[in-house]
Amino acid sequence: MRLPCPWCGERDHSEFNYGGDATRRRPADDAPMEEWIDYVYFRDNPRGRHHEHWQHIQGCRAWIVIERDTLTHEVSGCWTAEDYARGFAEATDVQKGAQS
Amino acid sequence: MRLASGGRIDRTQPLSFRFDGKVYQGVAGDSLASALLANGVKLFGRSFKYHRPRGLLAAGVEEPNALVELRSGPRHEPNVRATVAELYDGLEANSQNRWPSLAFDVSGINDVFSPFLGAGFYYKTFMGPTRGSWHFYERIIRKAAGLGTAPALPDPDRYEKTNAHCDLLVVGAGAAGLAAALVAARAGVKVMLVEQDKDLGGALLGEKSEQLDEWVAATVGELANSPNVRLLTRATAFGYYDHNVVGLVERVADHLPQPATHQPRQRLWTVRAKQVVLTTGAHERPLLFGNNDLPGVMLAGAVRTYLNRWAVLPGRQPVVFANHDEAYLTAIDLADAGATVAAVVDPRPIANPDLVTALAQRGIEHLPGHVVVKARGGRFINAAEVAALDANGEATEPRRVIICDLLAMSGGWNPAVQLHAQSGGKPRWDQRLSTFVPGESKQAERSAEALKGRADRSSHGGVRRSVGCGGEDRRGDGRVFVKPEVSVVDFQAQGSEGRGVDPPPF
Repeated sequence: MRLPCPWCGERDHSEFNYGGDATRRRPADDAPMEEWIDYVYFRDNPRGRHHEHWQHIQGCRAWIVIERDTLTHEVSGCWTAEDYARGFAEATDVQKGAQS
Repeated sequence: MRLASGGRIDRTQPLSFRFDGKVYQGVAGDSLASALLANGVKLFGRSFKYHRPRGLLAAGVEEPNALVELRSGPRHEPNVRATVAELYDGLEANSQNRWPSLAFDVSGINDVFSPFLGAGFYYKTFMGPTRGSWHFYERIIRKAAGLGTAPALPDPDRYEKTNAHCDLLVVGAGAAGLAAALVAARAGVKVMLVEQDKDLGGALLGEKSEQLDEWVAATVGELANSPNVRLLTRATAFGYYDHNVVGLVERVADHLPQPATHQPRQRLWTVRAKQVVLTTGAHERPLLFGNNDLPGVMLAGAVRTYLNRWAVLPGRQPVVFANHDEAYLTAIDLADAGATVAAVVDPRPIANPDLVTALAQRGIEHLPGHVVVKARGGRFINAAEVAALDANGEATEPRRVIICDLLAMSGGWNPAVQLHAQSGGKPRWDQRLSTFVPGESKQAERSAEALKGRADRSSHGGVRRSVGCGGEDRRGDGRVFVKPEVSVVDFQAQGSEGRGVDPPPF
């Protein structure tokens, strides 16, 4: 599997470390316990496009967010984690060339 | 037996080898199977469970019967297909799954009890007297199971891993693969062409046409001299992964007694290609009739390959049984090589008239609307029972018995869609060809027309040979699209003058 890094370009997936679901939002410190339990223990298991964290440990070591279809492994977007957290403001979007 | 001339072998380089302790002679260019066949060996193994005698069926990687053990000591390797093992001087091979010998196997008694030995029968048979008794029985049953023995000593060889990137990966160097690689190479595309055989040409290696040989030689020469082309032989593409990653295993030194000091034994390639073209061709499929597993029953295309590639005549009195035109070429080539072809049995009512004429010119009886019902023989075939078909396609009486020592049979061709399926594509059933052909691609991959069944190897109208290629390349999205067009020429049997095909229209 080839994953795009916004800084380094398209690389083999073995250069990256998987970092889990990127769509989680950390609750406020005083949020009710149910929200915290959800945040820490529960995950969705979506079928289809999914945003997830990867760290480019064998390259620039940056944390990035990749949009990957969990069924077909088609990669359709990548952002730096910072841009993603800011709600895609000035996000860089690397065109995926491997899928026709 | 070996023919006096012809074949892609070098008779000036004899090779000596052992099979089951007996010494035989082969020549350079032989596979282990072709050398054994040339020496008249008929038994190659025993079946897994019933220990039925097994002979050669095919000429290539699809061989299911001739599984042998190669070498002894730390490099001992079980379950090697004799059709894939290349012959070298001093090769040692042994048959498997028989005791005390291939010709007389004590476990052949299983065949007599076969009606009582259903699948998994041992789980219900060997019960008691205690619950723990099964472990006692299991140890004995385990010894009877399996084919071949694993080596017990550490592997002394090195194995390498490497990576490669390319614009276009072409899997299979037959006519279509060579054509695709050539067109792409001329367009400046970075091409990788991989072929599992040691020679390039694929099915063309089983042909006897000078024009085809010239085309192959010219194409291979141009590819070898192109700086943007990487040619790998003895390399099998075994897996297609996500994002056009393809795994190859290159058998660097399997064909040598041992690797040279600087060589690995095998090399694993991880190829990352922008585009992949699958030109893996097709595998011949058998026909169904009684005792079709007898030694002496071979695939018709394989018989032709043994004749034309290795100059080996697998039988002197063959019968050909097939439901398509291409197998008629086997009968023609057999007759031209000196065999007495007793008959060509064809369930279809009519066949290509040129081919039928070619049979008549050689005195070969043509039996349209007939089928082989049963092969007769003990350890090898000695006759074929033939029946005419009635209007409903049922076999009728009386049965005719035709003496033969070889039954070359073929039911058509199945495109090798394995890599396409691994890439995520779903093969689709083609009713007319009665086989699965590549369906919609899920990755940047496409299959050659022959793979799609369109260079129709089981056609009713005629036998087609792809013999030339043109092509165009157009650029889009920064990717180069290469669309080679392999021109297809109808084959016309030209009697004893030999088979001519028009020169490639470049």
